Amino acid sequence: MRLLLTQKARLRPLSILAAATLAVTTLAACGGDSGDSSNAGSATSGTVNWWGWTPTDTATANTYIAAFNKQYPNIKINYKLVNISDWVAALRPALASGKGPDVFDMQPGAYVTQFKSFAVDQTALAGQALGSDWKTKVAPIGISGLSADGKLTALSVGQVYAGTLWINADIFKKFNLRPPTTLSEWKQVCQVLKRNKVGCFVQGAAQEGFDQDTLQSIANSVQPGLWTKVSNGEARWTDPGIVRTLAIWKDLFDSGIMQPGAVGYQQYPDANNDFLTGKYGMVMMGTWYTQYTTTKAMTAALSAAGVSGAKPFPILPVAFPDVAGAGNISEMYGDADFGLAISTKSKARAAAETFVKWMATSAEGQQVIADQLNDLPSLTSVTPKFDNVELVDPAIQKGPVQQLITKASAVTEPRQALLSADVQNGILAAATSVATGKASPQDAAKTLQQAAEAAGVTFK
Amino acid sequence: MTETSTRKREIGKERSGAAGSGGRGRPRRPPGLPWILPALVLSVGLIYYAIGYTAYISTLNWDGISPDPLHVGGQNYTRIIRDPVFWATVRHTAVFFVVTFVVQTLLGLIFAVLMHARLRLAALYKVIIFIPVVLAPAIMAPVFRHMFAPDGELNSVLQHVGLGALAQPWIGQTSTALPVIMFITIWEWTGVTFVLYFAAMTQIDPSVLEAARMDGASNLRTLLSIIWPEMRGTTIALGILGAIGALKTFDVPYLVTIGGPNYATEFLGTYIYRQTIPLGHVGYGGALSVILLVVALIVAVILQLVGRGREAR
Repeated sequence: MRLLLTQKARLRPLSILAAATLAVTTLAACGGDSGDSSNAGSATSGTVNWWGWTPTDTATANTYIAAFNKQYPNIKINYKLVNISDWVAALRPALASGKGPDVFDMQPGAYVTQFKSFAVDQTALAGQALGSDWKTKVAPIGISGLSADGKLTALSVGQVYAGTLWINADIFKKFNLRPPTTLSEWKQVCQVLKRNKVGCFVQGAAQEGFDQDTLQSIANSVQPGLWTKVSNGEARWTDPGIVRTLAIWKDLFDSGIMQPGAVGYQQYPDANNDFLTGKYGMVMMGTWYTQYTTTKAMTAALSAAGVSGAKPFPILPVAFPDVAGAGNISEMYGDADFGLAISTKSKARAAAETFVKWMATSAEGQQVIADQLNDLPSLTSVTPKFDNVELVDPAIQKGPVQQLITKASAVTEPRQALLSADVQNGILAAATSVATGKASPQDAAKTLQQAAEAAGVTFK
Repeated sequence: MTETSTRKREIGKERSGAAGSGGRGRPRRPPGLPWILPALVLSVGLIYYAIGYTAYISTLNWDGISPDPLHVGGQNYTRIIRDPVFWATVRHTAVFFVVTFVVQTLLGLIFAVLMHARLRLAALYKVIIFIPVVLAPAIMAPVFRHMFAPDGELNSVLQHVGLGALAQPWIGQTSTALPVIMFITIWEWTGVTFVLYFAAMTQIDPSVLEAARMDGASNLRTLLSIIWPEMRGTTIALGILGAIGALKTFDVPYLVTIGGPNYATEFLGTYIYRQTIPLGHVGYGGALSVILLVVALIVAVILQLVGRGREAR
């Protein structure tokens, strides 16, 4: 009897430990993805948590939400802005835990690969909203980049296109400068600005996405279409055209076009703030910068950049210079800026679908998107109504902005959709090692090719 | 044999008897497991389980969320050996430890000696030296980013004092980014070194210092021959803390330079984060973490042995 008691006494703590382990395991199992849509909630009421890195200011997001709430007043949308550099770190555990957003931003490329398993297939939703021929009504670039494994991971809200420089029109006017069209003109413009103690061109070369934009534009000047070919494996990163691209990239640093210390700069917030505070005359940004042609967004951006009481100044898009001198027009390229994905773990899926459908497929929602000039709308039938838009200086901005929108809507070259996170990391390593003189363009291209092969890209 | 040593042996026998188990008539050792169970569950559950799980995932090719990770055995470890960025992080850690430890030790010792020298406003100086320790790196990082920016305060000061030729993009070039990170760390942690030395110096017998002075020892001689040897234990403790801190370095390089430019300020901690979170190589990050743990243990053991060896002498 005593022996039995002793054994029980010894076993008790172990049984407590076992019970605790079982409880933890059971709780963990409860947190798993059921993927069950039977309890989707109401389609016209509820609370939807939306996480995104864009719109990059909550004022723009609140404009969308306010317009949505005019039609659906009983659905509360909580927008949480997450900096793009923290996006993966924040979203991955949030989605995995089931405590994350109901709706989240999705971008073609690496994000689709990483988060597709958490996104509801929205093919049926698109058909329900726009009819069986829905694919003919939206920009094709917004479908291909957001699809993976036969699943439409998100509905594209709008597209962005890059390959343009933006200039501070006031600075160019003050020093009687014209936008550069060649590398030598670019260098001359920078010399004039530097003589007058104004920064020339600012780039956040520590961020891969924006380095890719500049490199892709250089590559399009060297040999149009080459960047896309190497991105999908039809050509190699060691191609002479890419080596030349990296050599021109290096020249931007050596000739003083790039600002000192560019490889330590982030495009957001560093380069963006420096340009918006008038320290530099040029920056490499895409169509998302069109929003800052408006007085409202420019004022908000200046405020966010820490400038109080500043007067908005007009900015203008200009074509990327023919830096290779080969006579090629450096064409633009683009992707869906962001689609809205619905989490498989959302407990308010029906309300989330209502919101996503309104944003991505309704004429009202798309018009609000278009008029913000942050994205070009996904619906091809919608264009910005410039009567609704207050530009900083309509006399000089309206024409170039309209031309930009027209030009961008015809673009078919992808921006980042073909690149995985590993290849993007390899591009950043190549760009910074060349810029800092740690590697020659040839060696960097070779290392980049190895990185792409290690990442599983198959080359012909 | 002295009376004292005989008594010690008797006490030892009594203790060993009390600790023996099962003897009839002897007091039973109280069951301890239920008492330590909460702490045991916590430490085993949170720490050792996490270490074990990290070791397990270091054998996977896994993005951290997909349901079907691929078992790759020791491939992640062999990849690490061939990874130039990993070896760069090791170099950075070694340089970082040596420089920050030496400079902090020197500054901490000097400040401690000065504060013991009956300075006016000594209390104010102590607060000023210690304040950086309590400021969160997340708060100070934007300040330092601004200070070391091409148009930041440092370059502005240099230009105003006629040293404009020295102005440069401090955190935007590989040659100066790591020294900036080390400078920030030294600024942040010298207060701790100072406090520990200051406290240790209060333990020195004043009669020893008095005797040195009577023998004609100068201040420098007293510092080198009496104070510094007495600080050995504190220095070794600071060495261990510094080494572990260097291995764990994450916040300052991540917040100020994001490990760049071109991996110039990449440390094991930032590299583990880069691989695990943005790139989604959770298995590879796990293998790096295991290596970090092993290195930290080896360093701690070596420093302990060095400390014991010197104490034995």
